[in-house]
Amino acid sequence: MADDKDVLRDVWYGRIPACFTLHQDQVTEREAEPYYLLLPRVSYLTLVTDKVKKHFLKVMRAEDVEEMWLEYEGTPLKWHYPIGVLFDLHASSSILPWNITVHFKDFPERDLLHCSSNSVIEAHFMSGIKEADALKHKSQVVNDMQKKDHKQLWMGLQNDKFDQFWAMNRKLMEYSTEDGGFRYIPFRIYQTTGERPFIQKLFRPLSADGAVHTLGDLLREMYPAAVTHEGAEKRLQVVIHGIEPLLETPLQWLSEHLSHPDNFLHICIIPVPSD
Amino acid sequence: QTLSLSVTPAQTAAWRKQVFEQLNERTKREMDNFRHYEQAVEQSVWVKKGTM
Repeated sequence: MADDKDVLRDVWYGRIPACFTLHQDQVTEREAEPYYLLLPRVSYLTLVTDKVKKHFLKVMRAEDVEEMWLEYEGTPLKWHYPIGVLFDLHASSSILPWNITVHFKDFPERDLLHCSSNSVIEAHFMSGIKEADALKHKSQVVNDMQKKDHKQLWMGLQNDKFDQFWAMNRKLMEYSTEDGGFRYIPFRIYQTTGERPFIQKLFRPLSADGAVHTLGDLLREMYPAAVTHEGAEKRLQVVIHGIEPLLETPLQWLSEHLSHPDNFLHICIIPVPSD
Repeated sequence: QTLSLSVTPAQTAAWRKQVFEQLNERTKREMDNFRHYEQAVEQSVWVKKGTM
């Protein structure tokens, strides 16, 4: 039987093959070939697409180039969501590689945040870590860290260094035996429809009488439609990192092993593919 | 320090096994046919600081 630590590596090294194509409305001086890349599921699009940008800039005139943004089948892709979440939410039933369209004009101001440099991504990532630690440990762990420790988390993600990241991240995953888990589980539940982009509320890993809360307990409270009753047809899938954990899986274990580097458990609710 | 969760071994086996198996399936589905693709982030990154 594999070790729980293997799950951390599998999660970290998850990759999605992608094919980037320049949008047809972009003017080029010569034909723009598609560009193929393996994208880390746990990273952010604007952090890992420098090569894509350089590739297409070679065939474009400088005056035609504004901020790059990416789209999948008409949906602008939010760089501030982890790549794996974007794929699971919008494209998990599509044939691989994931076809992403590249734009350098008509930035969709209503849908996307601007991302002028990697420092914007770093600030977003660190605010996620801090928010998660506020939920887990009343911010005690992240506040006890030094600036260089915060940098180590960021550099680990930016340079795809699992050991560097986890040497520090393990501190954010600790809890006392008597508590039996984090104070609250940092989670976000995403759906493709609905007014709110995601659901995020307070939820503890244990019930008031000390029983272990499971993924099913969380969903029954936050998103009951995602829990299929016995004998009923399954309409929705609950996807984390491209897999469907059983509803019996303890939430504390999921938080420790299937959280993204920002320390949030990102859960996607998507329709069952109709084939 | 971590605490072992108070669930029975049988339950443990089922949900944990499911996660392991599905992660393996995910690797096969999403990566096995695409290992020749370029990595977005190079595995050995040398960052040289300083001025020329």
